[in-house]
Amino acid sequence: MASSWVSPPTRTELIEDLVSGVDRYNPSNVGILEDYLYHQIRSQEYDCLANLAILKLYQFNPDLYNPDVVINILIKALTASPLPDFNLCISLLDERPINANLDEPDPLPTLLPTLKHLNDLLYRCRFPAFWEIYQSDELENLRDNYTVECVGFEDAVREVAIRAVTAAFTRISADRLASYLDLSGSELAAYVEKKGWKMEANVVGIPPNPDNQIEATVVQENIKLAQLTKVIAHGANM
Amino acid sequence: MAQPRAAVWAAEDDMDEDLQDMSLGNYGQYDDTFFQQPQIDEATLMAMQQHIAQQAAFAQIPDVVKGFIVHFHQAVLENNLPEITVAYESGWNKYTEKFYARTEWPEAEIIAPLVNDDPIFLILYRELYYRHVYSRLQPNIDDRFHSYENSCELFNYLLNSEGPVQLELPEQWLWDIIDEFIYQFQVFCTWRSKVKSKTDDELSMLADGGPVWSSYSVLNVLYSLIQKSKINEYINAHQAGKTPEEIAEIVGEYGSRPLYRHLGYFSIVGLLRVHVLLGDFTLALKVMENVELNQKSPYTRVTACTVATYYYVGFCYIMLRRYTDAIRTFVSILNWIMRMRQYHTRSYQYDQISKTADRMYALFAICNALSPSRLDDNIANISKERYGEQFAKMARGQEDAIPAFKELFLYACPKFINANAPPYEDPAALNALLAPASPDPSSPDLESGGADPAHRHLGLLLADVVAQTPVPTLRSFLKLYTSLGARKLAGFLDADEEEMVQQLMVMKQASRSVTHVPGGRGLLDGQTASTSDLNFVIDENMVHIAESTMGRRYAGWFIKNTERTQKLYDDLKSQPLPPAPKAGAGAGAGALGVPADAKAARTGPPKVAWGGVKVA
Repeated sequence: MASSWVSPPTRTELIEDLVSGVDRYNPSNVGILEDYLYHQIRSQEYDCLANLAILKLYQFNPDLYNPDVVINILIKALTASPLPDFNLCISLLDERPINANLDEPDPLPTLLPTLKHLNDLLYRCRFPAFWEIYQSDELENLRDNYTVECVGFEDAVREVAIRAVTAAFTRISADRLASYLDLSGSELAAYVEKKGWKMEANVVGIPPNPDNQIEATVVQENIKLAQLTKVIAHGANM
Repeated sequence: MAQPRAAVWAAEDDMDEDLQDMSLGNYGQYDDTFFQQPQIDEATLMAMQQHIAQQAAFAQIPDVVKGFIVHFHQAVLENNLPEITVAYESGWNKYTEKFYARTEWPEAEIIAPLVNDDPIFLILYRELYYRHVYSRLQPNIDDRFHSYENSCELFNYLLNSEGPVQLELPEQWLWDIIDEFIYQFQVFCTWRSKVKSKTDDELSMLADGGPVWSSYSVLNVLYSLIQKSKINEYINAHQAGKTPEEIAEIVGEYGSRPLYRHLGYFSIVGLLRVHVLLGDFTLALKVMENVELNQKSPYTRVTACTVATYYYVGFCYIMLRRYTDAIRTFVSILNWIMRMRQYHTRSYQYDQISKTADRMYALFAICNALSPSRLDDNIANISKERYGEQFAKMARGQEDAIPAFKELFLYACPKFINANAPPYEDPAALNALLAPASPDPSSPDLESGGADPAHRHLGLLLADVVAQTPVPTLRSFLKLYTSLGARKLAGFLDADEEEMVQQLMVMKQASRSVTHVPGGRGLLDGQTASTSDLNFVIDENMVHIAESTMGRRYAGWFIKNTERTQKLYDDLKSQPLPPAPKAGAGAGAGALGVPADAKAARTGPPKVAWGGVKVA
């Protein structure tokens, strides 16, 4: 939870007050937070804590519940993997009795297992399987009604794969990378170039970073002065 | 510790006689008046019968208990903290054991004449009365509603009187008030969520229950106490090193009073707990952002509060997948409990604290299986002693790991609650809920499985666990090599090469975690760090491995033994010289330069109150 996760630079002062103050419990503010969520969806921004504040209001005020908002929050949280955002959202989704007040049937109960499965695939780095399932006919509803609205969703999923690859590889075959990113040929070349990575002879080099540099070390103990204060103080009292 | 108690209750016998006379006198007198009335309407009759019943109940109270209540009331009136502490921590428990182990204490209305109908004392008395019902007996629905009303009256009095109230109560009691308030909220929610076992009366009361024990009302109390006491401003000013005068200025008339300041602090911890119970782990840590978690905090004096704080913070870190932070949190509190233990084994809270400690050893085992660390061998060994079998299964990561994780998690997790009641106000919806909705008879029962929030959180942890199951095996192979072809490794594992590469990425991911850094702002803040001693990287189809090893540690051993020797040396020096040359002894001791009282101050027992009665 780097500090940009705790408070993203794109968060406005109004939202900050809602996230950090007591006003987050005021049901009449739910609209502001929901608008902010749709803003995130359009602008490729992400603010987990603000979205959790919406779920909190839904938790306390079941009549505010809007399944489309919940699904959008979960879709945004998917692409934060391997951070636990998706799980944090699920933790706030209390069991609810079937809501008869909705005009249409609630889409969440049918989509929730799917979203959980997608999250599981991402967390387990099973990227080729993710793409296969995501593009299957069964998920047409999710794609056509939800992820299509979420600008840059597929690129955000690719970033999840990129994070995993960056940490684990120094070089990776282009075929393998292509299967992780669901890109091929010139698309892949363009993507790799945009990242500033080099591709030679069908092998992509990953720039050095703190996670893919390994070194065998022996950790030696360091004695801090504070550990010795008692011993030294005693010497002074002699 | 026993001494002050004896001093207070030494006068027991005299007092008993006085009280006996008084009650006998009253009783006779009232009887006379009642029967001389010639004509009585029904309402009066009822009132009189009630009165007589109350008198009878009053007469049944043992005289020592009456004396105790009178004394207790007096101590509260005088804001005499040492006396209140004695009455609260030993008197109450003593008479509970003796007279009320299996029944309620007398109702507040019955004992009211003893305390001149003092409304404040009666609220405090009811607070104890209901706490006793909850802990020793089975509260019925009236108890549940009335204890809520009484808590509201208490908080109303504290928050909505004109200006701060003059009452003073011991820190331990203030903590117990907040702690009990949340506990009762939690058991109410759990009880409320079980629709099947309700009687018609209960159903109709729940339907009209309104805000009784609603999440909003509980949060409202805690936030109000935090705001009124300005405790966050106090903590910040304190950390900024402001002078007492400046702090008093900042926190105002409420925050300057210990009662409000303590309640404010305990409410922060209370919020932490409520948010965890409701499954909001980020918000739980966020409310703690001003609190510095270390054992130098003045609030470590209330041991139960400190233990609860670390337990809930550690649990949040688990749900945030920050296992290293969770381990660090548990290690520091478990070590502290171990150090404190020698002073507290006889305390009435000891049971509760060692139960929580035991749950933390279980959570520690979970974390250590998911993110092996060598932070503290001592705690790790105790944890393995207690949960060795489960730990072995969890750490191996094979199929039987899942039941072991499940067992320990359900044993050690907080008692989660649902924020909302089943639809008691809507009989149709309630019936729909009760009807055997699921056509599949093998699906889990509503009362035990599906609707239970603990299982929802368990499911999330288990999904992570399943994702990590290949890691221990991979690790054991990687440890044997410095480099190894991916195909060869897949062959060892009898796995598909591509699948194994994906597992390696999971392993890498699991060896990185957001971790709290010293000086970081708040408990949520942190930076990504490596949590494993085994590091690897994949170069196309070749896995390269590097292992970090710890050099042996000597410093701790030498420092500990140097300090021990120094202490031994000091002790020897401060021993009186042999008695033989009588005149020289005093001068000799003085010449050694270790004043006897300075020594005593250093080795005296640490100042902590966890049940220990502290009388100045």
